[in-house]
This record gives sequence, C-alpha cells and structure tokens, in this order.
Amino acid sequence: MTATVTRTSPGDATECSQILAQATADRRTVRIQGSGTKSYLGDVGTTDIELGTERVAGVIDHVPADLTVTVGAGTRMADLKVALERAGQFLPLDPPHADEATVGGVIAANSNGFWRARYGGVRDLLIGTRTALADGTVARAGGRVVKNVAGYDLDKLLVGSLGTLGVIVEATLKVLPLPETSDGLVARFERPDEAFAVAHAIVRAAARVEACVIDRTDESFWRVAVQARGSGPTVMRAISDARREVAARHGDAAELADVLDRMRELPARATDGALVKVSLPVAASAAFAENAARLESFAALAVDAASGVARVHLTNEDDAVIRDAEALLLAARMVGGSGRIERRAERLRSRLLTWPNRPNGDFLMRRIKEAFDPAGILEPGRSAFA
Amino acid sequence: MHGLVALLGPAKVLGTHDDLLLYEYDGAVDTATPDAVVLPESTADVSALARFCHEHAVPIVPRGAGTGLSGGAIPVEGGVVVSFARMARILEIDVPNLRAVVQPGVINLHLSTAVAPHGLYFVPDPSSQKACTLGGNVAENSGGPHTLAYGVTTNHVTGIEIVLSDGTVVRLGGKAAEDEGYDLVGTFVGSEGTLGLVTEITVKLTPLPEDKRTLMAAFPTMDEASETVSAIIAAGIVPSAIEMMDQLAAQAVEAAVHAGYPLDAGGILLVEVDGPRDGLDEARARIEAICRQHAASEVRVATSALERERLWAGRKGAFAAMGRLSPDYYVQDGVIPRTRLPDILRLVKDAGARHRLRVANVFHAGDGNLHPLILFDSRLGPDELERAKAAGLEILTACVEAGGSITGEHGVGMEKNCYMPLQFQSSDLAAMRRVKDALDPPGLMNPGKIFPTPSRCREFAFASTTR
Repeated sequence: MTATVTRTSPGDATECSQILAQATADRRTVRIQGSGTKSYLGDVGTTDIELGTERVAGVIDHVPADLTVTVGAGTRMADLKVALERAGQFLPLDPPHADEATVGGVIAANSNGFWRARYGGVRDLLIGTRTALADGTVARAGGRVVKNVAGYDLDKLLVGSLGTLGVIVEATLKVLPLPETSDGLVARFERPDEAFAVAHAIVRAAARVEACVIDRTDESFWRVAVQARGSGPTVMRAISDARREVAARHGDAAELADVLDRMRELPARATDGALVKVSLPVAASAAFAENAARLESFAALAVDAASGVARVHLTNEDDAVIRDAEALLLAARMVGGSGRIERRAERLRSRLLTWPNRPNGDFLMRRIKEAFDPAGILEPGRSAFA
Repeated sequence: MHGLVALLGPAKVLGTHDDLLLYEYDGAVDTATPDAVVLPESTADVSALARFCHEHAVPIVPRGAGTGLSGGAIPVEGGVVVSFARMARILEIDVPNLRAVVQPGVINLHLSTAVAPHGLYFVPDPSSQKACTLGGNVAENSGGPHTLAYGVTTNHVTGIEIVLSDGTVVRLGGKAAEDEGYDLVGTFVGSEGTLGLVTEITVKLTPLPEDKRTLMAAFPTMDEASETVSAIIAAGIVPSAIEMMDQLAAQAVEAAVHAGYPLDAGGILLVEVDGPRDGLDEARARIEAICRQHAASEVRVATSALERERLWAGRKGAFAAMGRLSPDYYVQDGVIPRTRLPDILRLVKDAGARHRLRVANVFHAGDGNLHPLILFDSRLGPDELERAKAAGLEILTACVEAGGSITGEHGVGMEKNCYMPLQFQSSDLAAMRRVKDALDPPGLMNPGKIFPTPSRCREFAFASTTR
C-alpha cells in the first residue's frame, strides 16, 4: 500500500466546501482533523485527504451581554478560555484533552466533561453552526440566539457525528459569567455503595455542585471528588452539605487539589488496553462500577455521578481485555444504557470494534448519512451507525 | 373513512361533519377541516394507522391539545388528524433515575403535579401548561418563562418512541444521559410532527428548588426595563425567569386577573431567582438595586407563596386577558439577542402604528424571546387580519436582521413556513429537507409545515439578508 495522503487546510467555509465538492466528484475520502486529540475514536482506516481546521480558527463574534460566542471550529478550547476570561466569562464545558482540543472536535465527538449536570453538555450549549457539506454547499443551522425553533435542529445531528455528515466550520455557543468563587473536596471510602450513596445525595442537594465524580484506581479505596463554583453563600452551603454527607458515611475528606483534572484526563492516559465508555441510568451506575472493579483487567474507572456516564480502563492480556470490555458493554445494555469502546491499543483495533452492537435506530442514521454524503467520502468507516 | 373504521373500530374514528369541525383550528389563526379524526389508544393503533395512510398516501397530522400557536395541528393538505387525547397516561415515575415515562397526551402541568410529592418537577412550563400536552411540547420544542436558566423541552427529553410514516416503531434513547450514534432524539424534538409520530416520551425530572424570590419591578418606559434585563445578566446573575410586559398588556391583565401590577408603568419586569436558600436574598438585593439604578418606580418582592402565585397568574393569564382589549390577536414569537431589546421594541411599536393596530407585549425578556400581541378585529373585515400579518412580518424581518430567529418556541408550522427564507438560505433549507426525506420518504407526516410550499408561498420572495 502506497497511499498518499493529501493534507489540506481551508481558510474559510467556501474553500472547505469546494474541497469537499471536488472530493465527492473524485470519490476521494476525507478525514477531518482539529488538533487530533481524539483520533482514537471510531474505526477509521486510511483516507485520501486529511482536512485540517487550523485555519478556520479564532473568535468571530462575542457579545458578552448576550452570553454567546461565535468561533471558527478550529479554535482551541484553551485559546477560547483565555479570550472569554478577558470579558469575565467562560464556556461551561470541561472536555478531556482540554489543552489541545478544538471547538469543532469537541462538538463532532460530543466530548463532555463533568459539568454536564450543572450546565448541560455540548448538545445543550451549542446554538448555531455553519457546516460545509459533501456536495459543496454550506448549511447554517440554529443562530446566535439562545432560543430558536425555526426548522430542524441540525446542530443536534452534528453533535457526536464524528465528521460523517460534514465539516463544522463555525459554531455559536452559550457562555456564562465566571463564578465568583470555588471550593471542593475529595473523600475516600472503603466501599463503593458508600461512595455512590454520598455522591448521589450530593448531586441532588439543594445547592447544586458543578462536578461530582466517583473514581477508583488500583488503590484499595473509592474516591468522591466534589467541586462547587458560584456565589459565595451557595458554594459554602454546597460544600458544607457535601461534608456532612461524607461524615455521615464515615468518609475522610481532603483537599481537592487537581484530583478532578486527573479524573477528567483518564481518556488521555488510557493508551494501552481498552477504555470503555458507557452512559447509564444513574441508579444503575453503582452496581455497574462495583462489577467493573472486580474484572480481571480492571485498571481504573471514573463515573460522573450526576449524568451516569462512566469510563472504565482495562489493561491485561489482549484476550482478557476484549472479554472484559465486551462484558461491560453488555452490562450497560442490560440496564438500559449504551456504550462504546472509546479507545484501545492500536493492536486491538481489528479485534475490538468501537460499536460491537448497533445503536437503536441505526437504519435511520444510515439514511441520514446517505442523504448528506451519498458518495460516502466523509470519514468512511469512522462509525458503524453511518 | 370506512377503511379506518374497519381497521380501528368505530370508537376510535370520528368522521361526521360536526365532529370534524372541532378539529379544524388550534391556538393560531389558520383553519382547515380534516378528512377524518382518529383517537388511537396504543402504539399499535398508531402504527396500524400509519401503515394504512402509507398504503393510501393519506397525510397524517398529529394533535395534542390544540393550543399550538403556529398552525402545527392544522391539516392544511387534508388527511387524518391523530388526536392523542386517549394516550394520556403517566407510565412510570422513576425517582432514583430522575425520569418519567409518559404517553404523548399527558398534560404538561399534570406531570409536575404528579411528581411534586417526590420533590421533583418537569422544567418546561409553557403558559398553556394547564392544557398543552407533552407530545405537543416535544413536537414544538416548547419553552416557557422558566427556561432561561434550565433550558427548553429538548434539554429535558432523553428518550422517545416513534412511529414512522410506514408504521415502523422505533425506540430512541432512554433513561441514560446519552445514546450512541446520531442524536435522533434531539432531531425529533422540535420537528413539529413532520418526521414521525411520538408515542412515548422519557423526560428528565428536576429537584424542586429549595426556595425562590420573585420580584415585580415597574419602570417609566420599556427602554429602562430592557436595559435592566441586560444589566442583571451582565452582573453575572442568571435568574430562573425574567419576563417583561408593557403598559397595554398590564392593563388588560389587571382587568382580568388582578395580579397587582401598577397601571401607570411603561414597562414591568417579573424576575425570579431560585436555588438554595443561602444566597437568594443577596441575589434579590442585587437585582433590586439594579432595578432602582434603572429608574424603577416600584420594586415589590413577593413575601408569600400566595403573592408569588398572584404575580405569576398575571403573566400566565396574559394571552387570555387580551380578550379584554380586542376580539382577536395575532401573536408573534421572534427572538433577538437580548442586547437589541430596546431598539427592536421601538420597531415593534412603529410596525403596529404603521398598520393602524395596537400591539401589546408580554414576553420572555431574559431569552430575548418577544411575544408581540397584534390586536385586530376580524368583524371589521378580512383586511384586519391581513394588516396584522403584515405588521408581524415586519417584526420578524427586524428580528432576523438583528441576528435572531422567526420563532423561539411556538414553531414554524403553516403560519411562518413562507417566512423561512427570511432566516435561511436555500442551502440551509436543503439540508433540512434531506433530513425530512430521509426520515419520511413519502412526505406524509404533517405536510405543508416548516418548509415553504410553492402553492402558498408564491407571494413571498425574500432575498435572504443573513449570513
């Protein structure tokens, strides 16, 4: 195989759409790249063209009083953070790979962190897009206002589409004023049921926390990390309520330090073995985590207590990793959840598909894919559902 | 008609002239008579009906309570209206998972009432919540006053069961926060019944806030009220609701509801903050100070649940109170970036004056979601409605030019489908059309809605000003 990959980086939506129109005409496949932090997602092989978004970057419009910002899709989250901080605001989204990830990549991968229950996820914060389509047209969806029901919500289709429907060129997102103050804690528990009981009490308390995550590494205890941000009195109340819950179950609380950041970056560290991501009904997450921790290949897990999204890292001999990963996906389905193999060692790619099972409604997803990219040039093989 | 009766039995099919007349209108101004009305009692009924209609190429138009404000439930191209009045059960209240599973005919407020004993509620609260159905809310992606901090319907739906136009039943999403693949749930919410029929809905339930503070502030003019909205947001406060009302609306509301609004104020704001008790009084004091800085002549804080309900009763009863001012009204639903409120509100007033019509304003100021109520009297001739629509179009054009939208929560329906090219270029609409054709290939689901139709939209040739 001597495939030559053409690298291209369009400077605007029109250029981008022309590249796609030509690729469609030539039947050449296209891979889209932001900064490449999540290139492990999906089942993609080699493609003819690599389309980088680095030249469609930067803040296009930011009206602080409207609490919205419009950016080029290639804008790095870290750069956007700095720009917004100058106006005393922030994008309430804390995806992994935060140093490098681009806004477009975060949208295409539906990459959420731990703040979802408090502020909403990518799908809740995205209010407008401009997307270059495979036929060379550019489609705008949504707008720059926070409420908008004119026509279909194509923004939703793009969130998590992994580039299979088009190249997101521009995005408008909701932003918020920076919170006044912040506080947090991390507590340790012997038993998972205690950790989950505390975490679930904390996320339902009157003073809402920003993040509440349960994790377990190969050490012999379960941790609950809690962070609250907001006005002084609400943060104080949230953390004192959390301390009371921890004490009631005999956990010992310590300084949060960078614990949440470490938990969030589990996908970045999981370069070996397999990383399984599941989304569960929250009440099912405690039993799921307890069983996961008993698996032979278990290495680490982190569960967002409020949303029921869990990641389990498995390391072992290949056969054991594959068996345990598939068992976890099955367990998620059994309780009404779903999941994917989010990351796996390169050598496991052919043996461990991202989606061993197809999602509900996959035939409708394929029809949509067909309608937007009939020649199948965009991210071929990236997703089983498309 | 006979085929439908044979398929579903006579008890589920209405076809007499008198029966059909009851289904020819909704909360908006357009009407059309259906060929038949079907009242399914199960997903199986809906699926059988869809198969039948598919076979005979008959359009299907879903209908909840008929409170919609864009003609969404009107069978503009004929066919069968499907009323979900008999699929109105709450199937499950799942407290540990903070979810409820409901049939589409469940009334919005009934769900919140049913889960209140568990300390929970369903956040979206359209003003019609005593009557409107959750199926209708899903179709229109409905909002309400309290969506400013907590989001609209799409932010609170995690699963749906749908019946496609060929009768296929598909379950999408569930009780978990997300599902794999394209977000089809998010695509169906707000699709106005044009992609399929929703037969079951899984919604998020939210813990009731520990406490609330509700303020009513009166201002000399709408400008000062508008500037106050921006100032509150700029101060870093995100209230759960900021509603605005002009003098004409306040006078109508006072006559009907006696909410205690001052009659001499040019603009009135209703602001609510909720959350943990700690910090609420501080937030209230900051909002009060901002109101005073912007020349508020009066700031009243509700001191009891009863007083709060009274203040809200005025807001929620505002549309109904318009009957005191005028026999008919035409309500628009444009959205603008909230910083543009003062100039667009002046433009709304001018548009009314130009068409010799009075306009009352009652709206979700925090979201920038306008609701100009254009008052007219159809007894004076067809020209009245025409002038109201012309004024409405001028207002929507201004909203789009300000970077906004022609509809924030009422939907496009058959009322604004001809206006879609104001906001979207042909390539944008073509992308939406691909979704429509992929999910409803025969085009039988609620035809004549959302997309401009050549027959009805001939007179509207807009040069798109956006982008």
